[in-house]
Amino acid sequence: MAGIPAPINLVACGCITPFGDASATCAALLRGESALRPVPVLGREGGDPVPLALLNGRDLDDTSPPAWLGSLKQLCASIPGEGWGSERRPVFVTSSNFGVGGLYALRRYGDPSFAAWGAPPTCTEQIRLELGWGPDVSIHSHACVSAHLGLLSASRVLQAGLADEALVLSFDFLSPFVAGGFHALKILNSGFPQPFRERANGAIGLGDGAAFAVLSRDRGDWTLAGQTLFNEMHHFTSNRADGTGFQRCLEGTASAARGMKVWFKGHGTGTLEAGRMEVSAALRAFPGAPIVGWKGALGHTLGSCGLVELAIAIEASREGRSPGTHGEGLPAMAGDVAVESFSTASFDGVVCASNAFGGAHAALLLCHA
Amino acid sequence: MLERHIQLLATDCAEGEAPAATRDRLKSEFPPGATRRMTTLGLLVGSVLSKLGPGEEDGIVYASAYGESRALEGFLDSFPTPSPTLFQTSIHPSAVQQLLIGRQCPVGEFLPLSGGPLLSFHALRACLLSQRTRVLLCGGEESGTWLLEHGLASERTFAFAAALTLEPGAGSLGRVRLSQSGGTGSLKLERLFEILHAREDFTGMVAPGWQMALHWEGAAK
Repeated sequence: MAGIPAPINLVACGCITPFGDASATCAALLRGESALRPVPVLGREGGDPVPLALLNGRDLDDTSPPAWLGSLKQLCASIPGEGWGSERRPVFVTSSNFGVGGLYALRRYGDPSFAAWGAPPTCTEQIRLELGWGPDVSIHSHACVSAHLGLLSASRVLQAGLADEALVLSFDFLSPFVAGGFHALKILNSGFPQPFRERANGAIGLGDGAAFAVLSRDRGDWTLAGQTLFNEMHHFTSNRADGTGFQRCLEGTASAARGMKVWFKGHGTGTLEAGRMEVSAALRAFPGAPIVGWKGALGHTLGSCGLVELAIAIEASREGRSPGTHGEGLPAMAGDVAVESFSTASFDGVVCASNAFGGAHAALLLCHA
Repeated sequence: MLERHIQLLATDCAEGEAPAATRDRLKSEFPPGATRRMTTLGLLVGSVLSKLGPGEEDGIVYASAYGESRALEGFLDSFPTPSPTLFQTSIHPSAVQQLLIGRQCPVGEFLPLSGGPLLSFHALRACLLSQRTRVLLCGGEESGTWLLEHGLASERTFAFAAALTLEPGAGSLGRVRLSQSGGTGSLKLERLFEILHAREDFTGMVAPGWQMALHWEGAAK
């Protein structure tokens, strides 16, 4: 398949979720905990309670500067290396939300101090200045596959020899803007998400999350291979019912994984049709692979989910045990859905997949270097 | 050095044109009824992109600093009963999706970018690093209203699309090169649009350490 970059190495990868860093998050998922709590969908203005996972101590309503900035800076303090944003060490920032919570606050309450964080370029510039990066910071935003685009673009720059190492940083923090939007679409409701489970009505949860990855051509313990994208352009908010769009995306990753024993970390937001489509496509592309989804406990971290969940997958592989798929005893969509945690010791790698508005699909294969 | 050849180009300068006038001007280019929910940026980008005949094997790189400013404004103004339609059309890549979903035209690779002074460089770099035989570079902005007052939207309204190939082929319009070079500089998206719109030869720094050389074939000017 055209466009699949050669494998690239991961020097470091980390994340923050309401559970803490990647290690704390993986441990909480293994214990079967959920970070989702019912929160009024419009924050201080009330509304229906919906399942949201907010970073500890953070309200849904934004502040100026944003309350999430401290957590993001704490995450970035753990990024190894210096000189990010220079010609040989470019940064790829990805998000679906950027500082859109500030935009909501600006419009609702009229405080102009929120404006500095309100648009992708201005929000990224604020972060760049806070972190002391150089100017080479590119911005990718493609809804819930945004982080995959950052990884792919960084891989290409490295493979072309245009950089020594590249940093991908992704962040998405909730606000009444995004909660209100998904609530208006009726997929964020009072029900809690149970990905890959058969039930009467689907439901998603949303979560705060941020993550980073440092990529290199020639060092690192992990390898990203088979990075693929496919955009079916069928409908703004749904996929082709026959799953062929997602199948097309998985072809390239399956090719990279040929001969390997893999497990499958799915997107799994908790909607029913998309869940069935994903399970069906995963079974065809990776027969026998256990399928897991973690958004039932973390919520959907939107444009950052691909990188947040990659960091957790690395932690699970390192620890030798993957968390199962959070749920409450409902039947799984297929026998291959791993409801309980399982040992990753006998596997060669994990396929990580994400889906987005517009029928956008992305997948990659993570394995030991 | 990275290089591609420009095979097709379409631009639209809607400077000073009211959104309703843009809609009126462009609606005949889309199927009847399709434009009802399209944004101004969706109409403009859709119009120029459609002239390149996008297909599944193409890569698409989309550059817009602010994206769907008017849909964002409308969505924010719809609270406390937020509009689901404006929510989905306010996402960054929406302009391209409005055309391609309308046509049911899948595309393998679609890279939507935002950015500031280096946006043109990052979009060109993405095009020139793509492994696709043909890459469609498109972009644009629509002017905002109250977002513009806060510096969070574009002052100008425009769109462009260029089909870039690895081989020159017959009838090539021009050539774009990125090469590493000493010095610094930047190229805002508005300026890239002007260069394309006027088919202007350009050689200059577009990012720290990077020079762009854009040359048009004389006969095609």
